[in-house]
Amino acid sequence: MSGLYNISSSPHTRSRLSTGRVMMDVVISLLPAACVGVWHFGLNALLVILISIGTAVLTELLFDIVAKRPVTVTDGSAVVTGLLLALCLSPAVPLFIPILGSMFAILFVKCFFGGVGKNFMNPALAGRCFLLISFSSTMTNYQYSDAVSSATPLVDLGAEKTVNLTQMFLGTGTTTGVIGCSILALMIGGLYLLVIDAITWEIPVATLAVFALFVGIFGGHGFNPQYIVAHLLGGGIVMGAFFMATDPVTSPVTTNGQLLYGALIGLLAGIFRIYATAADSVSYAIIIGNLATPLIDEFIVPLPFGFRKNAQVPDSETSSFNIKMAKPALNLFVITLVAGVGLAGVFNMTKDTIEEQKRLAKLASYEEVLPEAETLEYDDKFDAAVEALGGGVYGTDFGKAYINEVIVGKDASGATMGYVVSSSSNDGFDGTITLSVGVLEDGTVTGIAFTELAETAGMGMRCGDPEFKDQFAGRNVERFTLNKAGGSTADDEIDSVSGASISSGAVVNAVNAALAFLQENAG
Amino acid sequence: MARRTFRGGVHPIGHKELTKDADFELYLPKEEMVYPLNQHIGRPASPVVKKGDAVLAGQIIAEASAFVSANVVSSCSGKVKAVEKRRSIGGSMVDCIVIENDGLFENAPGVGEKRDPSALTNEEILGKIKDAGIIGMGGAGFPTHVKLAPKNADAIRWVIANGAECEPYITCDDRLMRAKAEQILQGMDVMLRLFPNAEGVVVIEDNKPEAIAEMQKAAQKHDRIRIQPCPVKYPQGGERSCISVVAGIEYKITQLPADVGCVVENVGTIYAIYQAVCESTPLMERGVTITGDAVTRPCNLMTRIGVSCNELLTYAGGFKDGVQAAKMMAGGPMMGIAFDNLTVPVQKNNNALTFLRTDEVVEAEKLQTNCIRCGRCNRVCPMGLTPQMMSAAFAKRDYDRYENKLHGLECISCGSCAFICPAKRPLTQEFKVAKAEIMAIKREQQAKEGAKK
Repeated sequence: MSGLYNISSSPHTRSRLSTGRVMMDVVISLLPAACVGVWHFGLNALLVILISIGTAVLTELLFDIVAKRPVTVTDGSAVVTGLLLALCLSPAVPLFIPILGSMFAILFVKCFFGGVGKNFMNPALAGRCFLLISFSSTMTNYQYSDAVSSATPLVDLGAEKTVNLTQMFLGTGTTTGVIGCSILALMIGGLYLLVIDAITWEIPVATLAVFALFVGIFGGHGFNPQYIVAHLLGGGIVMGAFFMATDPVTSPVTTNGQLLYGALIGLLAGIFRIYATAADSVSYAIIIGNLATPLIDEFIVPLPFGFRKNAQVPDSETSSFNIKMAKPALNLFVITLVAGVGLAGVFNMTKDTIEEQKRLAKLASYEEVLPEAETLEYDDKFDAAVEALGGGVYGTDFGKAYINEVIVGKDASGATMGYVVSSSSNDGFDGTITLSVGVLEDGTVTGIAFTELAETAGMGMRCGDPEFKDQFAGRNVERFTLNKAGGSTADDEIDSVSGASISSGAVVNAVNAALAFLQENAG
Repeated sequence: MARRTFRGGVHPIGHKELTKDADFELYLPKEEMVYPLNQHIGRPASPVVKKGDAVLAGQIIAEASAFVSANVVSSCSGKVKAVEKRRSIGGSMVDCIVIENDGLFENAPGVGEKRDPSALTNEEILGKIKDAGIIGMGGAGFPTHVKLAPKNADAIRWVIANGAECEPYITCDDRLMRAKAEQILQGMDVMLRLFPNAEGVVVIEDNKPEAIAEMQKAAQKHDRIRIQPCPVKYPQGGERSCISVVAGIEYKITQLPADVGCVVENVGTIYAIYQAVCESTPLMERGVTITGDAVTRPCNLMTRIGVSCNELLTYAGGFKDGVQAAKMMAGGPMMGIAFDNLTVPVQKNNNALTFLRTDEVVEAEKLQTNCIRCGRCNRVCPMGLTPQMMSAAFAKRDYDRYENKLHGLECISCGSCAFICPAKRPLTQEFKVAKAEIMAIKREQQAKEGAKK
């Protein structure tokens, strides 16, 4: 009995929770998704996961050593970052991708800002966005086997194709996408986190609810359950809502703040999903939500005991119970309503202008492809033929090709000298490609011009470059064929834009559809 | 109907099984007794005896010196050995009266006489309580006769007996309710006489079924009193938590319970009121739980106030296997005071002495990380505060934000936030410093303004 006693200020006891334990729970909750991913995609997925985690841990360790800071890798947060990042990657990515992504996430987003708890955005998401911007072609290549390259369900959805909801939910079958694409497995993990009270319900529920509402209102399909569910299952909204947005460091700490934050993310994800590139909507929405977090926390400070409604005045039990229950729901509703109405207003105000711009662009493209025509006129015969298609897919050999309208070009004497056909293809990588094809009376193509092209930057978008589109001009063939290898010599061959055979193929299909339509209906 | 509870709260491990089945053992001290003059909130009492005086048990040895102050009563017979500074359980040297205990415990005249409270006027009742030196025995130590004399006695609608005992380890209130149910309720009847429009409510946590049963049985004979069992959740026994579950009222820290029509007293205090009014016995005795994994024989003792902690520990068999405890606390681990000197005396408001082999604080410090902003502290704060934001404001010493935007002064130092924090941040500790510094700044400003006038 000689040692000294410890003195400290109360409390003298602590819960069993620790930062390491919190991180461990997130890892546990992600295991089902990781396992399904490895089972579905094979060992390459496992390799991506292990390399991502390994790089994350090693980066933090090295930084701590070099910067002479206390070594903090034991708290497990680097493991979480690495695992989350890996689950957001395609299993087909080259292995430098997870390495670069993890290093960026840990070094630039976490360590440079002071380590665990100090990062201003979710490191894994920041890493993913960094990769998306820097290596967009690699990152959006979801081809994982030797089978034909297949679009993700979300791309199919954008292209009005039917998608297999069950496969999306389970993450099985021909589903392509990121390693953590099994919604069922993700939801099991999310529920685990909810049950053990590691995350609160506010963020995922607000995010998913507002997102679903937005897709329902603005998605163009009304509240079609099949459509909304497909959107909820695709594009990482579940992964984002349960695992990314709930990252405590970068989400608000108060209940109302979390509702607002979740609603903001749901709204942004909806906007990006419907009006912008669909695949990465959630990542950017959450990043913006992260950046808004300090602001939300500044403005939403809950009223403490003694300042709330039942201060001083005794209340009847039933009414207080209902008010307490209804309040978060009411807040959520009002936030959604205000945001929705605001957005609808902006959309309506700009809608007519957008339409007018589109019309002018279309006219300009007509003149561009048939510059020698003195006048451009509609023709009853062609209008009737286009009308007869009823807006459906034209022909059987051109994929999902559509004929929009045909304009007859006349020379100074009023004689028909050529035609402009506006045709579209839905087989593009990111949605519809619409183009105008100019054709002379003898069948020679004078040129093509795009009125709608929203393919992947640096890849499909290069279809708009002269090197590609000028190939069509001056040729007189019955059908064009796409040469994926390049170096064409034959008159009917078109060199594909390298790395964008899907987009190139869609363009060729649209041009062929236009030629076929003319051959069928002209003269 | 769902039972009322308060928002927030935590569930620390109770450890009550160590002593909950141990009935009170009467222990009469043998060594010298020490009576600090500042056991209560308010101004220290002024001694009315001097060195060499002979005193009897139950005799007033120091008198209340101000409106908020309390008498100190000798709990033994003997001779005043000294009036001097001694170390108290809080760690500082304070004025104390030291009495050489003759071991006879000879009572002063009149002590122990039965009395019918119905024969007394309200003023006489308050007088008896004041004379007995009764203060809040749950921990805070607010003088009871002041609490029981609010401006408008008719406006008091609830008299709440706090038997929640939510603090881990401690079981002395539990044992007291089991042993003295009828006496506690009679003490409440005395209080209810002072407040004609009030309902008596006894708050007990569910983990004390025997106490609930005893109290409910006894309450059948008391019309104005009901027993309200509550879900087990710390800090149910906090004054504001108690009021919110009984009356559904929340109030600011600048308000007193009486301002919202409530009077809350610990069951131990109410038993002391019964003894003072009905048995003419001032506050000499109290139940103390001796507990913790470092004690040979954890037990509940009914002992005399002023006894040294060392004597009680020795009676409980000393340290288990002779291994010294790493940490000693007066009270439980959530709000108790750690002390490092076994010679200090037991005070009126010491409900337990807890001796632990491992100091969880030391273990936790090894796991400390940056705040990960998980928000658990916000969710558990029974006062609805935002400890995470308060801690950030404290780090910058932004006391304007701390006090006015975050309402940091509403903190009751219950320890829930620091308990739950996965990053092991010393939140409660920071808030105690913040509160002390803000109060110091305010006092300075007041002094300056006073000087100007």
